[in-house]
Amino acid sequence: MDEGELVSQAQRGDGAAFAALVRPHEETAFRLAYVITRSAADAEDATQDALVKAWRALGRFRRGSPFRPWLLRIVANEARNRRRASGRRARLVLRASREPMPGDEPVDRRALLDALNALPEEAQAVLACRYLLGLSEHETAVALGLRHGTVKSRTSRALDRLRELYD
Amino acid sequence: MTELERALASLEIEWPETPAFELRAPAPARRRRLLAVAVAIVVAVGSALGVPQSRGAILRFLHLGGVTVERVQTLPPARERALRASLGSPTTRAEARRLLGREFAAAGVPLYRAGRVVSALLSGNVLLSELATGNDPAILKKFVAGATAVEEIELAPGTPALWMHGGRHVFVAPQLPARYAGNTLVWQRGRITYRLEGRTLTREAAVRLARTLR
Repeated sequence: MDEGELVSQAQRGDGAAFAALVRPHEETAFRLAYVITRSAADAEDATQDALVKAWRALGRFRRGSPFRPWLLRIVANEARNRRRASGRRARLVLRASREPMPGDEPVDRRALLDALNALPEEAQAVLACRYLLGLSEHETAVALGLRHGTVKSRTSRALDRLRELYD
Repeated sequence: MTELERALASLEIEWPETPAFELRAPAPARRRRLLAVAVAIVVAVGSALGVPQSRGAILRFLHLGGVTVERVQTLPPARERALRASLGSPTTRAEARRLLGREFAAAGVPLYRAGRVVSALLSGNVLLSELATGNDPAILKKFVAGATAVEEIELAPGTPALWMHGGRHVFVAPQLPARYAGNTLVWQRGRITYRLEGRTLTREAAVRLARTLR
């Protein structure tokens, strides 16, 4: 069943169709919330609440539009609200999930991560969305509440800064 | 895509584990200021661990290994009890090994059990409890904040922990009466959920101790 059919069924109140719509994007949604809130617990709560809101708002979803950006917008809004409410100023510290192995690309992952972690918050967030979460420019704009052009320019500047720190 | 962009995209990041989200129609209750926190070591969902007086008023859950932290509006009934009165029945190292699937982490101390929870009182009046959780069903997870501070910390990469301190909370374990608990650190390593508790336990001391336990 394609996305459009799932949307139609979910809009008629089919919870299983809604679950089938959401499941492929859960991980990205949660990680996006983590990038924004910098807390796994806040990210979990924000994502859960966003899913509830998405379910309730599904009637207003325009059929034919891509579902993921719509969902990510709700998740990101919820995550930003939660971060504001918590007042937490923790930095996002990203770690590699594994040590380098023989045969890996000749990239100093640790140095690259150190450089990424050292970036200003806004630069780090835009690069995390674009390259770690694999969001499109449009999705990144939606997620971070930015104009499309701002995502492009901020990404470019963030890459320049990252290159300086990494080299 | 430049080489740097490709390198970024190829980074394998240690993300927090994605929780299993509820995708059903939501309960109508909305969050309010935390009034109380109940902490339960849960052997299995539906066991005789329930805190009936609070079940209808649970606002939030947090789940780590075999431990759930529930945000409730009113604390369930509980008593002040000394830690040594909350250990359960004496048990042997062999029995503890059978329950946990490995040696209890602290050597040279008498062991006790209550249900599947194995405990010992360490120096400094600190209670260490271990519980093999393995494939127990997950419990609805929720965030807790407010008067009782519940902090998510990391003992080591990939070893999340919860540090609970501040306002009192209620501890409920199988086969033991509910009691008020002191500062508590909970973490999970492999199939074992660990719990350290002490009324004067500091976060630094708890983390230091937890890192020495294997």
